[in-house]
Amino acid sequence: MILGFTTSVFSQAKKPTIMVVPSDVWCNQNGYMKEFDNQGTKEKVPDYKRAFQENADLIAMISKINGLMADRGFPLKNMESVMKSLASESAEDAMLTSKSGGSGVVESPIDKLRKTAKADIIMQLTFEVLKTGPKKSIRFTLQGIDAYTDKEVATAGGTGNPSFSADPAVMLEEAVIDKIDNFNAGLQRHFDDLFANGREIIVRVKKFEKWNGDLEKEYGGEELGTIIENWMRANTVKGRFSTSESTENMLLFEQVRIPLYDASGNAIDARGFTRNLQKFLTAAPYTIVNKLMTKGLGQAVIVLGDK
Amino acid sequence: MKKHILSSLLLCLFVVGFSLTTKAQAHAKKKADEQTEAWRYEVEVAGTGVQGTYLVKVWSYSKRPAVAIEQAKKNAVHAIIFKGFPGKTGIAGKPPLTTNVNIEEEKKEFFTDFFSEGGKYMKFVSLTTDGAVAAEDRLRVGKEYKIGVLVSVNVALLRKDLEDAGILKSLNAGF
Repeated sequence: MILGFTTSVFSQAKKPTIMVVPSDVWCNQNGYMKEFDNQGTKEKVPDYKRAFQENADLIAMISKINGLMADRGFPLKNMESVMKSLASESAEDAMLTSKSGGSGVVESPIDKLRKTAKADIIMQLTFEVLKTGPKKSIRFTLQGIDAYTDKEVATAGGTGNPSFSADPAVMLEEAVIDKIDNFNAGLQRHFDDLFANGREIIVRVKKFEKWNGDLEKEYGGEELGTIIENWMRANTVKGRFSTSESTENMLLFEQVRIPLYDASGNAIDARGFTRNLQKFLTAAPYTIVNKLMTKGLGQAVIVLGDK
Repeated sequence: MKKHILSSLLLCLFVVGFSLTTKAQAHAKKKADEQTEAWRYEVEVAGTGVQGTYLVKVWSYSKRPAVAIEQAKKNAVHAIIFKGFPGKTGIAGKPPLTTNVNIEEEKKEFFTDFFSEGGKYMKFVSLTTDGAVAAEDRLRVGKEYKIGVLVSVNVALLRKDLEDAGILKSLNAGF
């Protein structure tokens, strides 16, 4: 019984989180953008908060998609709620002090940067009511984008039948119902590939400026960069990865296929996989102190030379 | 006496005729089932169904119109599971529920039962136009009839049932 329980616990791979996000195009077309000054250059970014507060069609569409995905056993993260909890967490952190010394919560600049609504797969939603004379139709696009590899893993879209009389809200709802199964078929193909060939992640290796070594430093006649590449070859599924960039200061590995479970049957993600590389580099003969940072299930960065 | 013989003869003829018709009907049904297995039917999208359903028009073949009309229900469910159907302007087509191209062979026992006369497939047929086939949907092709019937299939329930039976993999399987 214990064995059965153990197997059932370990046989679950880490579930990717999915969230519906209105696309930049939709935000721009509907006036939900805000401008900010990026070191002298004016840049426009989507104003999601205002979009959620003001656009009832967007809420209805997202709610419909969330409901349909929940019916398929895959409840989604609700972006509006995530943004609200991030705001309340920030407020709580600002007020939090320790009991003894009154010290506050520490947050590094990188922690601040990463505090955004995020998910492993983004369902990017674009919709538009098209008008030709008195006729109205809906153009609808739903793109499933892997947040780490930037690959479009599922898609569905098209323009619905034009109508003289139908209410745009009803037509929008119909567009979701009509397209969601095709989107899910793409998502299922992506998951099938994930189970057959491993999860695809990105691994970066960088170095701190003050570290006196680099990736060309030799150990036993082999450069550190090559040693890391050999480790990747030995530990990825069927040795599948590509070294996209390689300099003395950095390595970029893309399309890295990692197993879903480690040797003891525990589910792993980018962090679990890269932690083994971290241990490998920390151990003799390399003894390189390094810092591991991860982004969701699919991106990891190891910075050599310090913590 | 003559009258008695005549009525007995008529009764005999009626019984023989009835049994021949029933036999022919059974034969036509069997043939229609074979045609379903041989993918001899056509499916086209007819509209966006209400949530959880697909609305399709199925064209089935038989020498007997009644058999073709009845077989359309089976063909609709068969197509949705194994074949999918193309879209048309404004309405998206749908891929089949299964991604395993050999599933009907691998789970033959299950599907024989599922598509048998009075089988479970009827549970998912929610609405048809079997009682009112339009004149343009009743075609004569050689010695056969080709009949188009609109069928609404409860796909959400069908998928759930097949997932529970271990025939289809659910979207969150393995996570």
